[in-house]
Amino acid sequence: MTFPQDTWSETVRSGACRRPVLCVLLWIATAASLQATPSNRAALEKHYDRFLTKGLNQCATCHLPGAPKNPESLEEIPHNPFGDRLMLLGKELEAAGKAKDLVARLVIIAAEDADGDGVGNEAELLAGSGPGDAKDAPLPDQLVQAPERRAEFDQFLAAYCWQPFERVRRPAVPVVSRPEWIRNPIDAFVSAEHDTRGLKPRPDAPKAVLLRRVYLDLIGLSPTPEEQRAFAADAAPDAYEKVVDRLLQDPRYGERWGRHWMDVWRYSDWAGWTDGNQIRDSQRHIWRWRDWIVESLNADKGYDRMLLEMLAGDELKPEDPATQRATGFLARNYKMLSREQWLEDTVKHTSQAFMGVTVGCAKCHDHMFDPVSQAEYFQMRAIFEPHQVRIDHVPGELDTTKNGVARVYDVAENPPTYFLNRGDERKPDKERVMQPGVPKALAGVPLEIAPVPLSQDAAVPERREFVIRETLAASDQSVAKALDILVKEYTEPKATPESHRLRELELAKAEGQRVALHAVLRAEELEVRSQKDSEPWKQAAKKALAAQRASAVSAAQLALHRAEQAEEKSREKLTKEAQAALAKAETEAKAELTVAYKPRMAATYPATSTGRRRAFAQWLTQRTHPLTARVAANHLWLRHFGRGIVATPDDFGRSGARPSHPALLDWLAEELMANGWKMKPLHRLLVTSSAYRMSSTPDEANAALDLDNIYLWRMPSRRMEAELVRDNIFYVAGNLDLTMSGPEVDNAEGLTSPRRSLYLRLAAEKEVEFLRIFDGPSVTECYQRHPSVMPQQALALANSELALKQSRILAQRIAEHTADDAEAFVRQSFERVLARAATAEEFAECVAFLSGMDDKVQPVANRESDAARLRERLILVLINHNDFVTIR
Amino acid sequence: MGFTGLVLGSLLFQDGVGRAVGSDAAWQPPDGKPHLPPKAKSVIWIFLCGGVSHLESFDVKPALNQYAGKSIDETPFAGVLAQENKDIVGGNPKHGNRKVIMPLQTGFKPYGESGLVVGDWFQNIGTCADDLAVVRSLWTIHNDHGAQLTWQTGRHPRELNHPTLGAWICYGLGTLNQNLPEYVVLGVPTGDCCGGTFTHGASYLGPEHGGVRLKVDRKNPLPFISPKDNALSAEEQLENLSLLGKLNYLSGIDYPDDQQLRARIKAYELAFQMQTSIPDVMQIDQESAETKQLYGIDKPESKAFGEQCLVARHLVEKGVRFVQLFHGGGGGGEWDAHSDMKGNHGKLSAQVDQPIAGLLKDLKQRGLLDETLVVFGTEFGRSPGAEGTGRDHHPQGFSAWLAGGGVKGGITHGATDELGFNAVENRHYVTDIHATVLQLMGLDSYKLEIPGRKRLEVDHGEIIHKILA
Repeated sequence: MTFPQDTWSETVRSGACRRPVLCVLLWIATAASLQATPSNRAALEKHYDRFLTKGLNQCATCHLPGAPKNPESLEEIPHNPFGDRLMLLGKELEAAGKAKDLVARLVIIAAEDADGDGVGNEAELLAGSGPGDAKDAPLPDQLVQAPERRAEFDQFLAAYCWQPFERVRRPAVPVVSRPEWIRNPIDAFVSAEHDTRGLKPRPDAPKAVLLRRVYLDLIGLSPTPEEQRAFAADAAPDAYEKVVDRLLQDPRYGERWGRHWMDVWRYSDWAGWTDGNQIRDSQRHIWRWRDWIVESLNADKGYDRMLLEMLAGDELKPEDPATQRATGFLARNYKMLSREQWLEDTVKHTSQAFMGVTVGCAKCHDHMFDPVSQAEYFQMRAIFEPHQVRIDHVPGELDTTKNGVARVYDVAENPPTYFLNRGDERKPDKERVMQPGVPKALAGVPLEIAPVPLSQDAAVPERREFVIRETLAASDQSVAKALDILVKEYTEPKATPESHRLRELELAKAEGQRVALHAVLRAEELEVRSQKDSEPWKQAAKKALAAQRASAVSAAQLALHRAEQAEEKSREKLTKEAQAALAKAETEAKAELTVAYKPRMAATYPATSTGRRRAFAQWLTQRTHPLTARVAANHLWLRHFGRGIVATPDDFGRSGARPSHPALLDWLAEELMANGWKMKPLHRLLVTSSAYRMSSTPDEANAALDLDNIYLWRMPSRRMEAELVRDNIFYVAGNLDLTMSGPEVDNAEGLTSPRRSLYLRLAAEKEVEFLRIFDGPSVTECYQRHPSVMPQQALALANSELALKQSRILAQRIAEHTADDAEAFVRQSFERVLARAATAEEFAECVAFLSGMDDKVQPVANRESDAARLRERLILVLINHNDFVTIR
Repeated sequence: MGFTGLVLGSLLFQDGVGRAVGSDAAWQPPDGKPHLPPKAKSVIWIFLCGGVSHLESFDVKPALNQYAGKSIDETPFAGVLAQENKDIVGGNPKHGNRKVIMPLQTGFKPYGESGLVVGDWFQNIGTCADDLAVVRSLWTIHNDHGAQLTWQTGRHPRELNHPTLGAWICYGLGTLNQNLPEYVVLGVPTGDCCGGTFTHGASYLGPEHGGVRLKVDRKNPLPFISPKDNALSAEEQLENLSLLGKLNYLSGIDYPDDQQLRARIKAYELAFQMQTSIPDVMQIDQESAETKQLYGIDKPESKAFGEQCLVARHLVEKGVRFVQLFHGGGGGGEWDAHSDMKGNHGKLSAQVDQPIAGLLKDLKQRGLLDETLVVFGTEFGRSPGAEGTGRDHHPQGFSAWLAGGGVKGGITHGATDELGFNAVENRHYVTDIHATVLQLMGLDSYKLEIPGRKRLEVDHGEIIHKILA
């Protein structure tokens, strides 16, 4: 039994290409034999690819039996007539100063008949007989098949040569038979496939359908009735483009597309136990990275810059916490229980998200399909080996568990990356310390690593001006508070001498701590200015120690007082202990002063970073990198058109799917880079193309040729992503809270919080069930969504508090304007919920539904509430309508 | 059914299958009647994710103990390495190239009248030996966990989604119970790396024939099972559904080929029924203590899978066509014992051995085994050669078994070589299992073909006649 390994190979030629460039994919397949294969033979194989039968892939195709064993080139004689001709032609071409590579020569002599057996050279090669051996001519039935084979070969030669591991070159825009359909170059590429396959593009979608499509696509929210009317009334030829431009400037664009990129970049809030006392995955405050994503997209920051900041924001802008938020991309991989897993996830997903290469497979062995060796895997790991996570203060909050910036930094000690035998962390090869590097087959240039000096603020973030100011202020506040309490105590009628004494001692303690803090900060300041061991420092340190000792005495006095007031049964014991502690503190206070004061708990970090991640990010975002732009453009296309040009967006390698429109993808990748990696121009190009504007209605003739619409003869219908379903229920009811940014909202509030879904907590075991049911993102891996149709979705939309409550609210809102006019109610309901007018039949059905109760005998007293209830139910039905969750 | 959806649905769509319109005017969608006399009504399709060792389960090789520590080259069976496994994608499998023989990591003994030798890890299933038809000569095309998808659809993961066996059966036969999904998925399916939702998807047959995941959760058998605060009466729900059906029909006229819409209409009707049917099938507490023991529900290690097996029985009792039970799912799969073979398979087999044996016995005592086909499978075997303390992936030869409706009990079919390296006798690609199951369900795979949807010979597979009763 043979198995079809390449069912798509007729459409894309990614194996062997005619250009004299080493085609990486072929190279892998033949890597083992390449060394032993003379270059001419390799060129022959490459040119004819699968059309060359095995028997012709050998010396005897050109040489006679008397030639040396394994001839290295055509210089070695004797040849047969075919080899002779190739050799002589090479000399002629050289003399004429023309290209003389073997492929050029093969093309020139294709139609000639070297051995004079009446069948041309190429015809013989395609039929599997020797072109240089007159005795070896094709059999009659082989000649019968020749035209078909010839046509297949010609098609193969003409196919676009897609080389995902070679740098992007902008392909020529095809000339097509339907120029009136072409709105921009995207359409030319799509139309070229239509031409090839005899497909006819569907007409432009009706205005209402297009408007809802582009609203949901760009900002994730349905157009309001006012927006629908304005667009319907705008007869200008660029009415649609004006809408697109406005939506791209809408900050809700960043939220909509931010969520898309959060899928690819694996956004996850922290996960762990006991209310965050133990963080097991990701980090606290990772929402700041989400805000950075939304802000960056809205500002149209270049994709290259975004990657740089996510991978190395701390090295690029050591002074700027706003940029460091971006490194949440890395901090998110934190795994308390396993550094090994943490780094494994980092290498695997950095590679898949940005390069579409499953580098992670090479941890245990050389990659089986793509050009990544196991050693290169560990070189990539070495890039990330020194990085760790930390949480820095933000102004306004001294407790970093309550607020802060989760970010990465490189540790000072240079932890070695050992080659792990079979990828097993228990089996490091200590002889093989891996240096940072990247797979050679990708982009072809090495990393350029230079250490990054960091500022004082980055190294000792707790010395930053605002942290000290707020620390002092907090101390002042404690004193003020203690004083306040004491003053109140003096006017308190029930006060006792003991309670007065308690408050006095509390104040004394707070004062003591404040004095000590000032003294310590002074000493610290001198240390930071590298004046440690100087005379002023010695004095300051001693002063700090004295203040700390005095503060300790105050604290001990307070403790003793409290012990004396304790309950009787434990009083004696506690008092004794407290007396001893006070005695000790007093003794220490009298001891000779030294410089050994107790420093503040202020973390100190290295003053340089390795620069490895910065170098990697620069390597990744250079224009010659073959994959970065292709992968990004594919992700954009996938989310606009419902299917990637490469249908496996995380795998552009040999195990991935072949592209449907390879030339278009290359063109888009180049366009992205040419626009300074800005995404908004590309979005604009995509959504203003004729391809995007097509109707999604079916067509029998096209379906007969391309059932799955791979070649895009219509716009595919799609189901809303989970977040859109939820957001739009709130939104059409007029209740969506459009507040942007901020800490994640508790997932328990998923059905009640009116914030957009991207702000809801999402982590392992902390997700909103409603979103999960609609195929919401997995935090482990989500390179694309796979929308399903499940009965659970029907229950969620029909029975959930969310759907029921919002239906009720919307029904009341509409009824306020329409009073008892059922027809007006139906009209407005359709506009609000489905962003379109009701057809006559729909209208009739809904009006009948609203009047349903009239047919029944009901007590008059209930009439009002029955009508209201029916209206609510009608809205609920529309929210459950297929057209609500579907983007046509 | 008292409301509109299905009726309107059938008017609207004819069949709802994505096919090339007009390419074959004579073509008719399946009418739900089997093409041949069926031997079974339902399938319980057990799938163990990650690759179960055939060597220590149902294809025990004592030679591995004899040659333990030797390289395969040094044994009389050095020839096994010479076979070219060119069908396996990768061609140069770095997985599976383990040469130093590892001894069996568990004991083994013969069971029943048939004397079927089974590894001790599966000793409970061993007691059902006389009901099993073990196929020992399977091979697959992918040497990584994407083969999990291959087991379900017959295709390599880079060919993306194709209908699974369960989808074909449901497409061909329809349902026996309008109140439950025709195709139910229990347990955690394969991770996204290795097929993800495609492992229970219907591809071009339309999502209405795909697997519906259910969680065995007594506290919350079905999320959003009834209207919050009972806001709507059952009558009102039905009226709503009726209007919804009409509206979906009306706006669907422009999209007669929309499989999503068709599936959604069906999902709404099903959902309404599931509000009452699901708590019923998820009912475990009402089972007797003996039954719970039989399934291992009384033991912590086998409780979870035991409950799933018991629910699987409830489902087939109620007429669900295809129950797909995943064990060890997510990521590459838990059975992937690259190291600590003994620990890994020891622990995992304790989770499944008794539940599966219990399921077989329970079906039998209730007279259900005659009409229920139980299939036990995994994506590939594990290598005879050691990978440290583990065994590597091994697509060149592995085992599965079938039991119940229409299958001969107490037999083995096909064989690997003495080391369990290559399937050598009566070799079967994974779709041969599909062909056999379809045959037993009374379906002719070729008659299910849809115009414009080219299926290959390899997709249809070949029926394994020798194991049919």
